[in-house]
Amino acid sequence: MMQSIAQKEFVSTLRDRRFVVLSVLVLGLLLAATLVGRARYRTLQQERAVAQQTVNDQFHHQPNRHPHRVAHYGSFAFRPKSGLSLLDSGLDSFTGASVFLEAHQQNSVNFSQAQQSGSLIRFGELTVAFVLQQLVPLLIIFLCFSAFTEERETGTLKLLLSQGVSLRQVAWGKVAGYGRAVALVVAPALLLAAWLLFGQEEVAGSPDVWTRLGLFVLSYAVYFFLWIVGSVVVSAWQEHARSALITLLGCWMLGTIILPKATANVGAHLFPTITKAQMDAEVHEQAQRGINGHDPQDKRSAALKEGLLKKYGVTSEKELPVSVAGLVMAESEAYTSKVYQQHFADLTRTYERQNALSTWAGLLNPYQAIRPLSMGLAGSDFAHYVHFQQAAEAYRYQLVQRLNQLQAGMGYGDKERKLDAATWRAIPTFEYEAPPLGWALGYLLVPTLALLLWAVGLCWLGLKVIDNTRVA
Amino acid sequence: MKTFWILFAAEWRHFRAAKGLVLLTSLVLLVGLYGIYYGTSEINRQRQHLAELPALARHNVEELKVKFPDEADAGEIGYYHTTFAVHHPTPWASLALGQRDVNPYYVKLRLLGLQGQLYASENVNPTKALSGNFDLAFVLVYLFPLLIIALCFNLLSYEKEQGILTLLLAQPVSAATLVAAKLAFRVALVLGLVLVLSGVAMLWAQVPPDGRVGLWLALVVLYCLFWFAVAFLVTSWQRTSAFNAVALVGVWLVLVVLVPGLLNVFVSAARPVPQGLELTIKQRDEIHGGWDKPKTETMNRFFALYPQYRDTATIKERFVWRWYYAFQHLGDQSVQELASAYTDGLRQRYELVNRLNWLSPAINAQTSLNALAGTDLPAHLAFQQSATRYHDALRGFYYPYLFHKVAFTHADYAKEPTHTFTSTSDPTTALSGLGKLLVSTGAVLVAGLLLFRARPVNPR
Repeated sequence: MMQSIAQKEFVSTLRDRRFVVLSVLVLGLLLAATLVGRARYRTLQQERAVAQQTVNDQFHHQPNRHPHRVAHYGSFAFRPKSGLSLLDSGLDSFTGASVFLEAHQQNSVNFSQAQQSGSLIRFGELTVAFVLQQLVPLLIIFLCFSAFTEERETGTLKLLLSQGVSLRQVAWGKVAGYGRAVALVVAPALLLAAWLLFGQEEVAGSPDVWTRLGLFVLSYAVYFFLWIVGSVVVSAWQEHARSALITLLGCWMLGTIILPKATANVGAHLFPTITKAQMDAEVHEQAQRGINGHDPQDKRSAALKEGLLKKYGVTSEKELPVSVAGLVMAESEAYTSKVYQQHFADLTRTYERQNALSTWAGLLNPYQAIRPLSMGLAGSDFAHYVHFQQAAEAYRYQLVQRLNQLQAGMGYGDKERKLDAATWRAIPTFEYEAPPLGWALGYLLVPTLALLLWAVGLCWLGLKVIDNTRVA
Repeated sequence: MKTFWILFAAEWRHFRAAKGLVLLTSLVLLVGLYGIYYGTSEINRQRQHLAELPALARHNVEELKVKFPDEADAGEIGYYHTTFAVHHPTPWASLALGQRDVNPYYVKLRLLGLQGQLYASENVNPTKALSGNFDLAFVLVYLFPLLIIALCFNLLSYEKEQGILTLLLAQPVSAATLVAAKLAFRVALVLGLVLVLSGVAMLWAQVPPDGRVGLWLALVVLYCLFWFAVAFLVTSWQRTSAFNAVALVGVWLVLVVLVPGLLNVFVSAARPVPQGLELTIKQRDEIHGGWDKPKTETMNRFFALYPQYRDTATIKERFVWRWYYAFQHLGDQSVQELASAYTDGLRQRYELVNRLNWLSPAINAQTSLNALAGTDLPAHLAFQQSATRYHDALRGFYYPYLFHKVAFTHADYAKEPTHTFTSTSDPTTALSGLGKLLVSTGAVLVAGLLLFRARPVNPR
């Protein structure tokens, strides 16, 4: 019986002209968003790949130089776009694209998309995730708000129940029927996305991307299920179709527009971010307590030199097999890097505190659960961004220290000499490996839990409401 | 006219009795007040951060005075001395934060190559930036249309669905008067809210009482009237409340969400700006190439720009500061074209949006309010230009010390130029926005009137 109710809802939905028009619109937007996402992904990815290749070549083709010169010349790290970011570009427009890697300091990631456009970008971007998170729920609301009210107003609900069907069965039948209709709208776009992804040779063979896509689809299935169940329940609870619609639209506005913005703003307000200028000043203050690589008069440099003389059993710097300047540089780099890393870690922690309010709001608002989950699976969330930043810093540190060791190996009077151009070709360039799914999941526990709690809670509450529904 | 006022008063009584609507209206009022609070405190925080910068710069000078207790080579000072170019907000910025949260509002400068310093970003939480600002402009542009929709979606259909409309129209009341009185009450309510919120915001932000007050009010009032015109058009169609609600939310979705999203895609495709990455890479290569090039070649290129220093001593040393700053300078020079292409590209993007913003009154209202507040992209570009001039002034200050080998004394720190820049309102953009808003409101209103006249009100 439930099957035939589902079938009836599915068929009558397809016959409803309003639904057909709306779903064609949503499907069109989804397909457009997929293609647009794909095009943007390609442009940005290509831009960054070309830039990375350019700086790598530049690094390898340096002339004879002193290693510390090379450390200042440095390199750049460009953040590659994740494969699935064509579905959900997440924070990508608001995080920088490139970071300059040089001796003595850790730089910020610059050139974000948001800085390169006017306030238009703040209206939100047209991505597949946006359509799935905000527009499909609206479609569901329009589809389901009269699920019970209409049956009641026309008196068919009584007839149905007289056939020996329970209210619960009617409700589940409707949920199943609407679910099929929604799947019909969403599936083509996701298939297209999967096909487009398959076309990318760098992604095609990667099981990680496929698992991510699978989980992505699964989470959205749960999210849509929530909206369908919620809408059917509200429809059973409210007396009139009109009031059911208004209630649902109110929830949609509160959940997708007002709450996300309010929690993000309150979070940022509660835990103020330190300014870059203040942070730089603090780093400078603390770094001074360590050794200064560029200051030969520094007391700590002198102490280090003394130690070296003793270690090698010689009396003057000239007799040392290593360059004191190089070792001082290495020592100083180790110290300042630690200071920088500590401050960047503090900054990240501040951001995480600010974001925590929004994350926990996922327990109240399913939209704020699916959004981080979707971004996380797509590899475009805050955790992935921090991962890149840390990878760039790790590369910078080992690069600079390698160059400092080269300098140390040059022995006394290194400043007057240069190393051969071939030296630079032997140094590996920056290669970014995006973190695997298992790593990402660690950051997605709260949203996953929130979504599941919602599914269980809503079903339980829904059944209670349905049981108490008036029949006429 | 008397019936109009009777109906108007009846609407007031209905409104007071409808708890849901009163709750919604008070909620919007509270949310608006929060928006004002948020905007003002955000701008105050930026002001406070800007006020702390001189102390940081002074501290830096103190440190240098200890490091160089006597006279110093100006090259050393230029290398270690940091100063700031600062971008102060207009008082209006509290009402419409625009892009002031993602664009840095100060930039730290040293005498080194400018292009490597100019694009440094401020600490911004990307998750928060994605969610956007909860300022008054957001409440007015995003949420007020929704309030208007909630108030108007059953303007006539409610009476019809309750069966009251037949009774009402049996009285000596025309349908036009009825709709006019109902609309007038809602317009008065919403505009009252708009005026109260704007007034509170202006007082709180202490905006100067000039023409911009009128411009802001005209913009927000007209924007609300646009949405009333849309509601009137849908009412004239005379469908069910549910249909009206769907239609109105649909219009909202198209104008506030879809058109901006699509326009954004179009604009970034039509005006790509990859020069940002290109120029930092090229500048670095130029500057570091300077170490490997013969000194005379570098200096001759530099002297072509600054002939007044041509007669200074030829460089024989392995390292000398004036040579170092000369190739830093040439590094900037070599990417000048890329830098202006980048800025032009950004400006073209902004102008393209302005040309097309008639497509959505929401974009139009937002860009106009941001232009009025001086918080959009052009304000930031103007700041960057001002910072560039400041950096030139720093060069102008240090170069005589370097090339004429004048020692830098403790008294000279105070002579160093300082920078300040306050963004200005752009009333031209705001006024043209107002014009376009007037046209769209007029067009929708005329369409509504025509439809209303074409379809006599059917009481059943």
